[in-house]
Amino acid sequence: MLREYAAMRSHRSRPPTRVRAAASARGVMVPRPRKWHHASAMEHERQVSCPQCGAPAPFRGTAVSLVCEHCGSTVVRVGVDLRLLGKVSAVVDDGSPLLLGSKGSFAGRGFEIVGRLQLRYARGAWSEWYLQFADGVGWLADFQGNYAVTTPAPDGPDLPGFYNMSVGTWHEVHGDEYMVVDKRAARYQGAEGVLPFVAEPGLTFFSLDLAGPDDQFVSLDYGVDPYQKRPDVYVGRAALLAELGLDRLRRFEGWRD
Amino acid sequence: MTEATAEVTRPRAEVTPPRLFRDEARTEAVQCLACGGPIALRGFGAIQRVVCPACGSLLRPEDSGALALIHRAARAHQPSVLPLHARGRLDGALWEIVGICWRTVPGWPWQEFLLYNPYRGYRYLAHSPSDGHWSLGQVIPGAPKVVPGKRHAITYRGRRYRHFSGADAHVTYAEGEFPWQVQVGDLAHVDDFAAPPYGISIEEVAGSDGVELTRTAMRHLDAAEVWRAFERPGKPPRQKGVGMLAPNRWREQARSLWLSCLVFLVAWYFAVQFVAGRATEREVFQATDLRFDSALSQEVTIGEPGSSTTVEISFTADPLDNSWAFAEVVLIPIDGEEAIGLGMEASSYSGFEDGEAWSEGDRQVDHVLGRVAGGRYLLQVTPERDTSALPGSDPLGLGSFAPFGVRSPETWALRVREDVFLTRYAALPVPIILGFPLLAWLLGRRRERKRWANSDYPT
Repeated sequence: MLREYAAMRSHRSRPPTRVRAAASARGVMVPRPRKWHHASAMEHERQVSCPQCGAPAPFRGTAVSLVCEHCGSTVVRVGVDLRLLGKVSAVVDDGSPLLLGSKGSFAGRGFEIVGRLQLRYARGAWSEWYLQFADGVGWLADFQGNYAVTTPAPDGPDLPGFYNMSVGTWHEVHGDEYMVVDKRAARYQGAEGVLPFVAEPGLTFFSLDLAGPDDQFVSLDYGVDPYQKRPDVYVGRAALLAELGLDRLRRFEGWRD
Repeated sequence: MTEATAEVTRPRAEVTPPRLFRDEARTEAVQCLACGGPIALRGFGAIQRVVCPACGSLLRPEDSGALALIHRAARAHQPSVLPLHARGRLDGALWEIVGICWRTVPGWPWQEFLLYNPYRGYRYLAHSPSDGHWSLGQVIPGAPKVVPGKRHAITYRGRRYRHFSGADAHVTYAEGEFPWQVQVGDLAHVDDFAAPPYGISIEEVAGSDGVELTRTAMRHLDAAEVWRAFERPGKPPRQKGVGMLAPNRWREQARSLWLSCLVFLVAWYFAVQFVAGRATEREVFQATDLRFDSALSQEVTIGEPGSSTTVEISFTADPLDNSWAFAEVVLIPIDGEEAIGLGMEASSYSGFEDGEAWSEGDRQVDHVLGRVAGGRYLLQVTPERDTSALPGSDPLGLGSFAPFGVRSPETWALRVREDVFLTRYAALPVPIILGFPLLAWLLGRRRERKRWANSDYPT
């Protein structure tokens, strides 16, 4: 699961030089850890418009970028200003029953689906839905009818590089043992709604999925640098669609949910 | 495979729908770009490959929704045991077969039906045409743990699965829609673990950009269950032999069988105690310190006239060391005709041989007679004994000592009791009680052997 690059990367100790340069050149705001960013984010919640078509641009929370629902432009929030990043490739229909804007809950915490990042690798495409909880954010991975909810984990000790973790081997992440079940390089395909970073197509991301014996799910996001030792860690567990209690789902011809 | 993306169908809709997908997802009917045959698209958006059912050509849905021909083929359609687009209800949900894939490991072909429900994802219904067995698979999110030990095994959610087989599986035939890039000839290493009727299959798929380890939980399905679920006419293909996940009812019932066995044994024990307690064991005759030189003749009354009872006769001789004594016992009914005769031998031998002490024989012999008619009897006993160690038994008159360690009997005793408990009948139910679980265990073991004969670990 690859969720951040570019701007997000620049707060790290050793971001890839190319990305950091690109981010700073655009003057993109760097999101801070959500806990002390939350209050100020609320103040920023004012009515803004898409610089391209003038439609409302409903930025919220720590969102940094937004795909305009009307014209498909990517709008980036820079401080209190908005910048236009131009059109990006659109999300393709991957048959997901999830909908942007749906409300649901996970482990007793309500959330709203506020954004979606679609990724593509050689064997298919999957979506990462950006969740806004009342007290934080999370991601809902959506791959061929399998779902997992994860939230960002605090920084831990160094981890092996992407190429040093092979599928089927067990590794300790934040004190628990997990098995690597998926290892892939993926491209960013498209986005909708808001995202906590600037999503831009064209780069290849490296990520590992790990699974625990009790259906825990861990995702290590190496971003564009597979050799780094401090990937972003997301921890959560697998979830059933029914368990998320989403208030609305997509309709499919010939099917009823 | 040739990438011939120039051939593309028209986009699915004239107006590209908004990217938010709030409108209903629609099924479609298109034509194969290679053979012109009809292709029904029912898998909605997640499809990566479409294989024309008629000609086997490989098509790829483009982002626009159009299909691109990427490999032209001209294979014949082959009927599978279930047809494409059939719908069935399994695990409490409705499923549609959107893809069919035939796969094989050397010697073991199977047909895999890709079941789809847009709200529940995918399931894998597998049918083995060689033995008629079915299983239903679902991708699991967790990682099974390897159990350390000699035999390869894993645990997942508290259940232990033993490695059954590991082999490279090839795709030999495909039709319909697939959310992965299926292609005839595709290779994946499949490891199957069994805990009948459940199993876990671990499949490793390597691609150009990474490796994926798919864990699928499987469950045995009865052929009749599948036929009912998909409302198929007639009867399903017969199931033969013992499938990898076929349930073993002998094993499943072993626990309850042993439990009921225990209950029966307890019941039997108390019944025996009760019946034995009711036996009066009345003494009919007893005489001790009888000499061997005279026979015994005595009238006794056994039981009640008109009914029958059990009689126990005990014979013993003393002293008895490396010697024997014999009594011919005859019970002659005074008012009847059928006499009862039996020979009873008491003996005792012991010694020391090869550094080990041994002993055999019984100083007292008991004989139980069942169903003796009540009435008056004449009890006649003719005793005999081993005379080799008696002082007077020196035929040559050498006056030598008796053989060392041998003491011939000098007196004998006889006891007759009626209404005794028949131990030999009391023990009769025990093998029957134990027989059922033992039989189940043997049959269960036979079934397991048949199952595992097809594995990597034949016994």
